[in-house]
Amino acid sequence: MYSPINTEQQLLAALAAGDRTATETIYRQNFHIVSGWLIKNGGASADAADVFQEAMVVLFGKEADEHFRLTFSIGTNLFAISKHLWYKKLQKQSNGPSFLTHDPGTEEDEYGVAYEDDVNVHHEREAHYEQLDTALEQIGEPCRSLLKAYYHHDKNMQEIAADFGYTNPDNAKNQKYKCLARLRKIFYGMQVK
Amino acid sequence: MSINNNAWEVAEAYLAGKLQENELNELKNRLSTDAAFANEFNEQINLISSFEGSGKQKRFRAMLRDIHAKQATASPSKKGWLIKFTPQTWRTAAVAASVALFSSAFTIWSLKPAIKKSDSQYSTISREVETIKKVQAQQQAQQNQLIKDIKNSKPAPPPSDVAYAGTGFALTNDGYFVTANHVIHHNNKGDFDSVYIQTHDGQYFKATLINYDAGADIAILKVEKKNFHFGKGEVPYTFAADKSGLGARIFTLGYPKDEVVYKEGYISSKNGFDGNDMQYTLELPVSHGQSGSPVMSANGTVLGILTGVGSEQESSTYAVSSKVFISKLLHELPDNTLHLPKVNKMAKLDRDEQIKKMEAYTFSVKVYKK
Repeated sequence: MYSPINTEQQLLAALAAGDRTATETIYRQNFHIVSGWLIKNGGASADAADVFQEAMVVLFGKEADEHFRLTFSIGTNLFAISKHLWYKKLQKQSNGPSFLTHDPGTEEDEYGVAYEDDVNVHHEREAHYEQLDTALEQIGEPCRSLLKAYYHHDKNMQEIAADFGYTNPDNAKNQKYKCLARLRKIFYGMQVK
Repeated sequence: MSINNNAWEVAEAYLAGKLQENELNELKNRLSTDAAFANEFNEQINLISSFEGSGKQKRFRAMLRDIHAKQATASPSKKGWLIKFTPQTWRTAAVAASVALFSSAFTIWSLKPAIKKSDSQYSTISREVETIKKVQAQQQAQQNQLIKDIKNSKPAPPPSDVAYAGTGFALTNDGYFVTANHVIHHNNKGDFDSVYIQTHDGQYFKATLINYDAGADIAILKVEKKNFHFGKGEVPYTFAADKSGLGARIFTLGYPKDEVVYKEGYISSKNGFDGNDMQYTLELPVSHGQSGSPVMSANGTVLGILTGVGSEQESSTYAVSSKVFISKLLHELPDNTLHLPKVNKMAKLDRDEQIKKMEAYTFSVKVYKK
């Protein structure tokens, strides 16, 4: 059913390219490990899905960074990142009831620092993207929809011209540049504050 | 292609590695001599690559949700990778998941970007419940009963998955209501499919978006059903036309879970996040799912609408003032569309009676996606 992708490096490269088969394979191989651990450590199965998917996004972002070299296996990475995310989540909720059972003697301490950085970079990136989304929300139509169609939904100029009623792709493209110019003002205006 | 022609086009081509050598040289030359241009170019490059990264990540997240849904619903016997629900964990998980479905754990909008996005989490949870329903068939009768109880206590839910939820409250008794815009247009992550309200007695009603203002973060909707009424009489509270002062006591009703929850606090600063004068800053403990809740004065006047919380360090809560809501959104509607209540029937009541009076007019808002 799945075309075999042999090495972890190939799997990762395919993951970074957004390849579905590779992503599915990694998901299938690792989700139960993370969810098993998480449920033992006070998480519900819904938490497991959240945390694991977030860890996949961290890995995805990390892999997109060209300097990244995989030091440990994909599984080790996902597991360690998930643990970090989960501990952070528990810390955040610490005003509520939490069932944090600490298990010293796991590899947590050993790899801890490296993955802490990954998670921090991830959160910074998320904040940055969120700012972009906020700017996009303020830009008004048709710019908002047009930029979303291009960047979020990966539509090409041909499709966008058709959807938005431009006579040709070049007109749509010019409109896109105008919209980007407006977005730039809003986005960098926000950051100055 | 000349650099003067269209700087954006050059930035795009540069990022895509499509510039010819002579163009690249021309660009480098100008970057080193023209500081203003270099600054502009940097911003352009940064914006485009952020946007591309953000788009890729959004598509990746959507794919993950889809994979999770598909793998979770796949037959457990096939691969044996599904979590084996022992009766104990199964029970806990079922309760947790169903509580999560009907609560609205993930909707307070982050005014500060540091707070993390969460629509992926919500749709995942609702799918999780689907999974459980399927596994249910293979569970013992006792466990079946648990789910049935949960299911039977609800009216038939609308067709698709709950994506996220917040709170709303009535403007008029015949169906107009208000909530936070981000409940409806959840941090710009795609369009909603439909919006339903679930009233305090558990009934679902479909609603249509009438008007919204993303900047102020408010939205007006209307229940579609003909001859609909929230309660027996006209809406019991009125809306403040001016901002209230520092220290004013406030309370709110909202739906962070399936049941209505009461919280109280005070206005701690006249303006909101980053000096935003459309907002108040409140000292009010809130949970996710209370976005869109009314902020009430002690005598039962609506002062504002809850929109967000600050970062973890400063636990402030923000609300957009009803003044803004009236001047911005209501005035854009055609005349006579809706008339806000003029009589405050709550002024002389004790708090518990005020709450009772408001209950029918405050409800959970559920947004569904395809």
